[in-house]
Amino acid sequence: MLKNKPTNSIRQSFGETLFQLAKTNKNIYVVSVDLKSSLFLTKFARKFPRRFIECGVAESNAAAVAAGLAKSGKTVFLCSFACFSPSLNWAVIRQSICYNNLNVKIVGSHAGLMSTDLGATHQMLEDISLMASLPNMEVFSPIDAIETKKITTVLSRSPKPAYLRLVRPSTPIIFDKKFGFTIGKSQILKKGQDITIIGHGPILNQAFEAQSLFLLQKPNISLEIINCSSIKPLDFDTILKSIKKTGRLICLEDHQKNGGLGQIVASKILSSKYHPQFIHLAVDNQFGRSAKTYLELYDYYGIGIKNLITAIKKIL
Amino acid sequence: MPLKKSKYLRDLARQCRLDLLDMIYQSGGGHIGGSLSSLDLMIAVYFSDLFDLKKDHFILSAGHLAPALYTVLAKANFFSKDLLKTYSSFDSILQGHVCRDVPGVEYSSGSLGQGLSFASGLALGNPKNTTICLTSDGEHQEGQIWESIMFAKKYQLSNLINIVDCNDYQIDGSVKDIMPLNNLAAKYVQFGWTVTTIDGHNFNQIIKALKQAKKSTFPNCIIAKTILGKGVSFMKNNFKYHDVKNIPEDIYLKAKKELEKNNVKK
Repeated sequence: MLKNKPTNSIRQSFGETLFQLAKTNKNIYVVSVDLKSSLFLTKFARKFPRRFIECGVAESNAAAVAAGLAKSGKTVFLCSFACFSPSLNWAVIRQSICYNNLNVKIVGSHAGLMSTDLGATHQMLEDISLMASLPNMEVFSPIDAIETKKITTVLSRSPKPAYLRLVRPSTPIIFDKKFGFTIGKSQILKKGQDITIIGHGPILNQAFEAQSLFLLQKPNISLEIINCSSIKPLDFDTILKSIKKTGRLICLEDHQKNGGLGQIVASKILSSKYHPQFIHLAVDNQFGRSAKTYLELYDYYGIGIKNLITAIKKIL
Repeated sequence: MPLKKSKYLRDLARQCRLDLLDMIYQSGGGHIGGSLSSLDLMIAVYFSDLFDLKKDHFILSAGHLAPALYTVLAKANFFSKDLLKTYSSFDSILQGHVCRDVPGVEYSSGSLGQGLSFASGLALGNPKNTTICLTSDGEHQEGQIWESIMFAKKYQLSNLINIVDCNDYQIDGSVKDIMPLNNLAAKYVQFGWTVTTIDGHNFNQIIKALKQAKKSTFPNCIIAKTILGKGVSFMKNNFKYHDVKNIPEDIYLKAKKELEKNNVKK
């Protein structure tokens, strides 16, 4: 995946951004479930011990404690792995956070097949489906460390419940530091004429790679790449504008097909007047498994670079 | 507590039980058994003058006891008593399970086992005020309750009071048959809480326990032994009255007669 680009850790960016924000925003609390080092929150815990609430390995309690703290006026970041929070404690998020509409940001790290060697239990592929279906909940999946920093900053100022999906490995840097993130806005990362490629998270880097590999053979074909990091609210207008032009859409995501971005977009497209050709590249009704690199897994589950190029050829 | 105060609370409770019965009769159904068992506990929280509920908090974890809370809130003038008969209907704010759209309600609940965690977070965020939570005995079958009991101890939440409405019944039968809790008080003690066991229909005991709890330096649990369907003989300890739909008129009138008679005996 874009070997020549500099990389950085999304989850490290989250932990360090929150630490910086907490220096001036005394209202920021972290509710932790024994995963502070994995989310780079050790510095936060040391510097702000009174605002770092350690619940132990008890995600259900942690979610409702976070809601109670939010009720007392705090801005709470509930930090864990996506396979535990929002997976294990979803019913608590639903009632105590969402239905009560409280200021809790659920931060789920190690999402998707990118948690590689940890295997199926930890490769959370259903989190977007779980969270996007909840009323009041906003859902974000940043593509790189810089966007993570921007989203974390914006969320620290928003009073709404939100889910922030993070991944484990270091991934390529896409944005420059001047980039400004807005809730409900997607970004066209590359303009093109022939195929619209949408997605969320670092897997979208494969679209750039496909463009450069594919261009060698067909220099007159260009891809339009759209980063849908704001999954809910979704910037459908930008997608619609693009498919009106290209008539072809590929959605690429490290998530189940069921309930993923692709299905959310497909539903909106079917309700519109424009019906492009559509291919959804996502995990299809399967659990993950361990591997040494996530690229092996991407190939195995049909969401790798080869699969993307095949899809591009098919849709043209 | 002066006798006069105790009589005042008992009289309020009698009126609220009648309101509750009317509400469930007129609206077509509701969780009457546990509402009747927990009502005196809520009356004590709202009318004893021990708490300032503009700053202190009452969190109903067992959200199905909404009918009891709604009648108490109406009695405390949070909203008009006329609203009660709209309970659980389409255009009413009074949802079947307790909802924060209702004036005076701070937490929407219904899925059991979450409220004590929520109350713990609230108590931690508001250390200068008291947070009172009301849970049911059956609710203690939820694993999350035990997570929150550990949490409250770790953070030594002395401003947290959990009142457990122990009426010994749940939807399908007795707690003992479905999943026994054995000695609940001893369990709380082992987890490091201050525990008092009381008769949950005796206002002297309820008020005394709440006063003690306010002074404690540990998280507090009040095990309130109560009677399912309290006040109506044929509902007493009858789990069929956990939740009722469409009470026939003769049953309603019979219950009403008993609740009216159930005057200031103690």
